[in-house]
Amino acid sequence: MSVQRQKLVLFGAAAAVRLLLFTAFPALPDILTGRVEVSTPVSSFKRLQEGLFLYNHNVSPYDGGVYHQAPLLLPIFNLLPNATTYPFFTNLMYIIVDLMGGHMIMKLAETGESTSSRLYVSPRSELRWSSISIGAGYLFSPFTLISCIARPTTVFANLFMLTAIAEAARGASATFILALSFASYISLHPILLFPPLAMLVYDVHSKRTKRSISPIAFSVRYSLAVCATIGGLLLVSYLLTGSWEFLVATYGVRLLLPDLTPNVGLWWYFFIEMFDSFRGFFLGVFWLHMASYVGGLSIRIRRQPLFVAVTMTGIFAVFQPYPSIADSALYLALVPLYRHVFPLMRYTFLSSAAIIYTSFLGPAFYHLWIYAGSGNANFFYAITLVWSLGLSVVVVDSIYAVLRDEWELERPEMKGQEVRMI
Amino acid sequence: MTLLSSILGLRRDERLLKIPPYLSALLVIVGCVWLCLLPLDEYSRKTYISENALLPGQVHTYFGGSEHNVFRAYRHEVAGLVGKSEQERSQKLGDILRLAGLKVATQKYEYDVSGRKLSGENVYAVLQGPRADATEAVVMIASWKTMNGDINHSGVALLLTLARYMKRWSLWSKDVIFLISGDSREGPQAWVDAYHNAVLPASVEPLTIKSGALQGAVAIEYPAGPWGHRFDKLHILYDGTNGQLSNLDLFNTAVQIASNQMGIGCTLQRMFDHKNTYEERLQTMLRGMVNQGLGHSTGPHSSFIPYHVDAITLQTVGDGWHDEMGLGKVVESLFRSLNNLLEHLHQSFFLYLLLQAKVFVSIGTYLPSAMLVAANFTVTCIALWVQSGRPLNSSKATSAATPGASKEEKMVVIKEKKSVALVPASTLAVVERKMFFPLAYIAAAHFLGLIPFYLFNNSPEHVLRPLFHATTAITLVLPIMTATAVSQFRRPTQQETTLIQCFSLLLLGMFLSALATLNFSLSFIIGVLAVPLSFVRRIPNSTVLPCLMTVILTAVSPMMVATLATQHWHYDVVDLLLQAAQGWHIWGMWTQVVVWLVWFPAWFAGASIVVWSLPGL
Repeated sequence: MSVQRQKLVLFGAAAAVRLLLFTAFPALPDILTGRVEVSTPVSSFKRLQEGLFLYNHNVSPYDGGVYHQAPLLLPIFNLLPNATTYPFFTNLMYIIVDLMGGHMIMKLAETGESTSSRLYVSPRSELRWSSISIGAGYLFSPFTLISCIARPTTVFANLFMLTAIAEAARGASATFILALSFASYISLHPILLFPPLAMLVYDVHSKRTKRSISPIAFSVRYSLAVCATIGGLLLVSYLLTGSWEFLVATYGVRLLLPDLTPNVGLWWYFFIEMFDSFRGFFLGVFWLHMASYVGGLSIRIRRQPLFVAVTMTGIFAVFQPYPSIADSALYLALVPLYRHVFPLMRYTFLSSAAIIYTSFLGPAFYHLWIYAGSGNANFFYAITLVWSLGLSVVVVDSIYAVLRDEWELERPEMKGQEVRMI
Repeated sequence: MTLLSSILGLRRDERLLKIPPYLSALLVIVGCVWLCLLPLDEYSRKTYISENALLPGQVHTYFGGSEHNVFRAYRHEVAGLVGKSEQERSQKLGDILRLAGLKVATQKYEYDVSGRKLSGENVYAVLQGPRADATEAVVMIASWKTMNGDINHSGVALLLTLARYMKRWSLWSKDVIFLISGDSREGPQAWVDAYHNAVLPASVEPLTIKSGALQGAVAIEYPAGPWGHRFDKLHILYDGTNGQLSNLDLFNTAVQIASNQMGIGCTLQRMFDHKNTYEERLQTMLRGMVNQGLGHSTGPHSSFIPYHVDAITLQTVGDGWHDEMGLGKVVESLFRSLNNLLEHLHQSFFLYLLLQAKVFVSIGTYLPSAMLVAANFTVTCIALWVQSGRPLNSSKATSAATPGASKEEKMVVIKEKKSVALVPASTLAVVERKMFFPLAYIAAAHFLGLIPFYLFNNSPEHVLRPLFHATTAITLVLPIMTATAVSQFRRPTQQETTLIQCFSLLLLGMFLSALATLNFSLSFIIGVLAVPLSFVRRIPNSTVLPCLMTVILTAVSPMMVATLATQHWHYDVVDLLLQAAQGWHIWGMWTQVVVWLVWFPAWFAGASIVVWSLPGL
């Protein structure tokens, strides 16, 4: 079978499974929409409906403090027929978004940027999965499927992040800037992907043109372009809603965490327990902590900027204020691009067991806490801790494996030897 | 660090792969022995009241004297209603409650399950607590019919008497709701669903009068006729749907009041003559586990528990010398205790196994047994995963070689620019796991379970028996048919079948360990019944073993287990299916989901593995 036909079959199957789940279990989308693991205050489909209702009745969608999502999503969803009466069109849009994401991740895999970049060619570069397998890994991952059925707006951010990464790896500047700006516009934290992805574009361009481009001029140009695009998006949003209050309602909520609804992340419990006087300080600490990874990783793994971007999506899935399994779906789909370093990873079993077990125990403990009343908040929080641990073990282990891969290129005699980290 | 690296080095050891089957067996045995140890004094505990506010049996009960005459009068009134129409009955019962000065309302309900109509009418009255602000309420229930289908003569009469009696006291700091439900399971379910504004079918009426958040519920079943009957013991039911239990404090309070204040013996799980020996404790525990595992509704109280309202049912059993006034005093004292509650019952255990009225085991002690049984599947799954990643010939090669010879492994020279390295070939050899077919097979097996699940829940009553037999026959031959059909296209490789079993056991182990936290008994029972699945293998070139495995797997298939269990307990299989359908449609029971989407797919995958090792396939 040719690659094109395989791709067609894959996309057809992915769309069919989603359509089947949407139509055969009509109650499923609403059940999943209500799950805290998928829907967060800043991405929930229910809240989007509320915002849409207010928007359609000429009330500011941010009145009432329920809607915390980007204003531009409203006219897009407004074009579709009402989601409660004609769910098919909304579902179709989400399916298409997922398929586009799959297309992008396959494009990214086809560039081969993960194994051989400008500054670094892995000695294991022949060991990789085909783009079809990686696309299938994304499209058929249960986390992706669930987040498609539950319809949070995170999937749009995911699509734009994937597009930004894929286009950066292909060196397509304009689409990269647009996609990254859209992703940052929707969920703020993707802006942290800018440094590694800009380096990636820089590498790809200099590899292609075979002459040195001034890094300073390059970064200034790209920073200005991203700023201009985001500025444009914000301006359009201002014109659309007629005031700047959306800034506080969307980015303000992400930055200041006023809504402490449980989710799979680490923030909510911590900030419930905290005395108010420390709140500001720890908000700063938590945000700084997440943002600080960009600098360190970009410098240390300068030779593989794509890996820095992939790792950052993992960091987002663990450390962002309102994470959901849709964020983990993105990271776990990108990790297989580094198939060639899997043999170097040491805790694959530990991390996969932690992730798989917690994805079942999480809902069970949430049930014990909220419905059965025989558990309490600590049950669910303990499981989210283990979940985050599992994800961070993947992050740490993959960083170790990539560094070791680089190190073995410098010192081939150390291949297969035990190492000790000092 | 050296220890870690030596452990990591062990991974390559061939002998390590031989351990998992023994380890699995050990886990199962330890899990089962663990459970059998629980009834011993060393592992169980005496019950105690954890919530100080309850103060069980600390109040003087005044129910007695002339109330007895009132009770007898009401009992005759109730006897007069037998055989009357539903409407007339509700009218009369409502009138009596209204005369006592209470607000009365009715609720009609009708469910349509398996082509049968289950309908009735609930009558209930609200006593507004003189010291209450209508934010909290406790419920007293007497269903018109008991669980055995008798008319609950004295139970309903006692409720009416208590309603009249309690109305005259000024000490209630919670509202008291008196509910006479049309029957013992659907009626309370319809009422409690409507009370909490759950999504209801149109045939269930909403409630016209409500009170505050429910704090507890006590149901009375006393089917003695118009001339009374003295009873021996109180049988306390405490298990709700899906194996959720009411707070142990409520149960303890009832036992404490009945046995210490009133001198009425208490019993549970139909162990009417409990001498507190090891065998009887074990039997009590196992009966409790079967009830919990089935997850069905065991009485009027069961419907309340999913709404986080702790509830028990008091049934009178045997011939003795306790009369209705004693029972009335127990209920009065129990309501006085509940009236004392300052917050929702939360202190004591929600997850426990009772061995006797005053002996229990808490979750920390018993949970490991189910977890060990679930872990056995995971252990086998890991072993199969490792096995699937090994090249087929390597096992032969290294098993023949002595440990000393294994050092002479094939080495590969790697050149990078100027540097050269020697690397063992095994670290570079990667056996690609072909995962598409196994994953698709497992996914299909899970979807397959939906078909019987749908059919059993949506077929009319007269079809159920033939449907059951047909399903039994089809599910038993299905693995053979599927395996043959698949083999027609492409015979699955050894690695693929290993992976099928690996994924299936992975899911099974995970589901069961998550389930053990929600419904311990169901997880344990299914775990034990599925144990053979972690020991079956695809053994080529053998006839006896595969046939033996087929026989064992047939015996532990979900349908065969259902058949054998119903025969053993002399229970009609249609009744079982009706209960199950009722459970799914009315009580929100999840047992069938677990059976068809966890147990059946695992069994199906295991059976397919065996079938592929049969000769000729």
